[in-house]
Amino acid sequence: MKRLSELPAWLRWSLYAAGGVLLLTVVQTLEGTDRLTSVTSAQSMLRWAIPILLAGLGGLYSERAGVVNIGLEGMMILGTWFGAWGAITYGAWWGIVAGIIGGALGGLLHAVATVTFGVDHIISGVAVNILAPGITRFLSSEILTNIPGGSITQSPRVPGVGSATIPFLAGGTIGNWTTPDLFGWLGTREWFFISDFANLLKGVMTRVSWVTLIAVLLVPLTAWLLWRTRFGLRLRICGERPEAGEAQGIDVYRYKYIGVVISGALAGMAGAFIASPELSGIYLEGQTTGRGFIGLAALIFGNWRPIGVLGGALLFGYPFGIGLRDLDGSASHGLILVNAIGLAAVAIWAFTRSKRTDTVLALALSGIFALWYFTTDVVPDVWINILPFVIVLLVLIFFAQRLRPPAADGLRYRKGQT
Amino acid sequence: MALAIELIGITKRFPGVVANDHVELKVEEGEIHAICGENGAGKSTLMKVLYWMLQADEGTMNVFGQEVRFASPTEAIGAGIGMVHQHFMLADQLTVLENVILGAEPVHALGLIDFDEAKDHLKKVAESYGLFIDPDDLVEELEVGERQRVEIIKVLYRGAKILILDEPTAVLVPQEVEELFRNMRDLKKDGATILFIDHKLDEVLAIADTITVLRQGQSVATVKPDQVTAQDLAELMVGSELPTPETTESTVRDEVALEVSGLTVIDQDERVIVDDVSFRVRRGEVLGIAGVEGNGQTELIEAVIGTSPAARGIVTLNGADVTRATVRHRREQGIGYIPQDRHREGLLLPAPLWENAALGHQTQQPFSKGIWMDRQGARQRTEDIRREFDVRTPDVDVPAHALSGGNQQKLIVGREMMAEPSVLLAAHPTRGIDVGAQAAVWEDIKAARRAGMATLLVSADLDELIGLSDTIVVMLRGRIVATLDPATVTPRDLGAFMTGATSAGAA
Repeated sequence: MKRLSELPAWLRWSLYAAGGVLLLTVVQTLEGTDRLTSVTSAQSMLRWAIPILLAGLGGLYSERAGVVNIGLEGMMILGTWFGAWGAITYGAWWGIVAGIIGGALGGLLHAVATVTFGVDHIISGVAVNILAPGITRFLSSEILTNIPGGSITQSPRVPGVGSATIPFLAGGTIGNWTTPDLFGWLGTREWFFISDFANLLKGVMTRVSWVTLIAVLLVPLTAWLLWRTRFGLRLRICGERPEAGEAQGIDVYRYKYIGVVISGALAGMAGAFIASPELSGIYLEGQTTGRGFIGLAALIFGNWRPIGVLGGALLFGYPFGIGLRDLDGSASHGLILVNAIGLAAVAIWAFTRSKRTDTVLALALSGIFALWYFTTDVVPDVWINILPFVIVLLVLIFFAQRLRPPAADGLRYRKGQT
Repeated sequence: MALAIELIGITKRFPGVVANDHVELKVEEGEIHAICGENGAGKSTLMKVLYWMLQADEGTMNVFGQEVRFASPTEAIGAGIGMVHQHFMLADQLTVLENVILGAEPVHALGLIDFDEAKDHLKKVAESYGLFIDPDDLVEELEVGERQRVEIIKVLYRGAKILILDEPTAVLVPQEVEELFRNMRDLKKDGATILFIDHKLDEVLAIADTITVLRQGQSVATVKPDQVTAQDLAELMVGSELPTPETTESTVRDEVALEVSGLTVIDQDERVIVDDVSFRVRRGEVLGIAGVEGNGQTELIEAVIGTSPAARGIVTLNGADVTRATVRHRREQGIGYIPQDRHREGLLLPAPLWENAALGHQTQQPFSKGIWMDRQGARQRTEDIRREFDVRTPDVDVPAHALSGGNQQKLIVGREMMAEPSVLLAAHPTRGIDVGAQAAVWEDIKAARRAGMATLLVSADLDELIGLSDTIVVMLRGRIVATLDPATVTPRDLGAFMTGATSAGAA
């Protein structure tokens, strides 16, 4: 375990992912379905993961600057409305831009409240979450109702930005030439685990929206920006020890503003993505369904690091993606067993560290899930929707001591009070 | 030698207070210059003025012979003045390197930090001053002394030639202090000028080349360490002759106020921390508990006040068994308590003084009427404490963190004494406060002793223990290993018992 933690983050997370896929492969063999590792499952996982990823990265910029952003949900709602309106009025790409701007305005509001006026971050965030649907309802009544096909709660169809398939790996085209399809070929070999992994990889590389590509590229870009540049160091000091930054002449307020506004912009981009044909193809009131909060959960799961946020987003996007296509419930049922096995692994891990309480608790929970799995054949629909939250709770219960939020995250900071 | 810093007639006023009153200071290039004074004498204000965190109302400042006027600390840094704050300005989860370069990062295009260049520069600076540190360590993994070294390197990295150290030894253990002093001498050898604040006189005498004493905002004397003794310095600081902890005649009466028998405390890991301890404290008696820290004194006090449970044994207060009683009940029955860590256990730092004065007495007159707080009564009582115990504060509505350490402690002592307890538990009552406040606390304890209060005193200051106590017991690994008479014991003997070097005692 010690050596594992010394590996570079991307490699470590790749290993976690491989472990996860192996587990899924085993379970789906037991369950007699192929839905857990199919190409389409991977595709819908990615679609569902992108808003969570963007919101999580948004949360990362804000919380690394020391401002808790529970208003991500509200900023995302602004993003859905502005995204749809922009795309309908000016075209698909402008829709994304409008969503970003809409979310950024929400972020700006949060920044003014928390940074300039020192309002408690949670209160301000909740206020943004309450305000945002009000604003969009008002804008809908003023603008959408005048557009043919629009109403006070929904918009007409929203155009999308288009997509691409990755050449060579997933058989995308360059010009008119269709390149070889490596993962597609591997996926049809029916080799245990390898084919499953290849299917998932082909899924996340086939007909990928340009926005998805940008979102995924934001992960390394964010890591680079926050950990390799002067801007990043100064932003992070605002989340760790703002007084130390101030003592070195850094304008802490400015960096906090930048962090929170970027946060809103990314949440807005997530909203625009939700309204785009990738997920809905329409603006519909209430369509974010708490994904801003799930983004926050991905941030916590990912230990306030970009690659971890990506891991969290995929993990939480996965059950949503599965649930959508799981008509007979067999895949959701299989996920119960995945939980049971995962918890058993946690129990072993806790046991090797002689954490008595954790071992017992993990074993007990694992037993409950196993019992549930073996005594039922179908599960209620809601299960798949609460699964991400169940995972977050479990992560917090067992790994909270290993999580490292920025030290001054959520604390009120006033200039000159050192 | 040229003057590195010269202050002429520096005056800084705050509403109701003159913190610095025409201060004169001459610091020569390449010397270690100490500024000492009681808490509240204006040292910290002066440091902030030097570093331009505060602007002086009057007076001029010369740096290397040039009159300067800066708008912010950033400009002061640019002129070669660096400050090492008492409370470190470091981010625990960042590396040493990141902490050091913050605000002065060498960059490539696009704002990309040149970490190689930064590391080279850091190593060069650190080596040239003999300060060793691994730039890739996380600050949270460092010892306190190492963190201080990071702060010093941070200042040197920016090219500072004049270092201001604000109470640098306050957070260090003795070995770390020696290390710091070695570093300071090396820095001096390499041409740096060091200005440091301290109120530990033996340290000042050991390291400083010149000492300036502040009293009530004024610079009252500048002396050389070989011309004065610690006693002289202390008297300069206080402005009068100093009292000592010594008590004169015995005031011990017959009635036993506090009796502890067979007390055993077991911690979460099921280790025995206090092991079968028994003693009696009579009215008018001070029982001193000596011991190297971590030998069960803290837990013993906690078991007597009731914040941690006793596994076995009996605590009897004025004849009544209180072993299972709540803390509140014990307090209402007449136990006063001066906790060892005034910030964690003694005060609510952001709360106003009058609320702090009610802590632990909130159920009693004059702080409450029935189930309600009596604000009027609490304020009045706090005013009384302020007057009788000389708590220096503009009013009783300021938050507790606005007071200096000595005044905070006087507030706590006053709070407990005004309730006229029959038993006082005093854990390190004069730790970290200046000589003036220390003398005041001693006087308070002596006065209460004369009035018949029984006192259980834990202290690491052996002179204090020997001076105040009527009887001294020594704790080692949770047990009482010796009972000694302070009239005959010397600090040296006591030290031998505390470390276990002498085991056979008068026990």
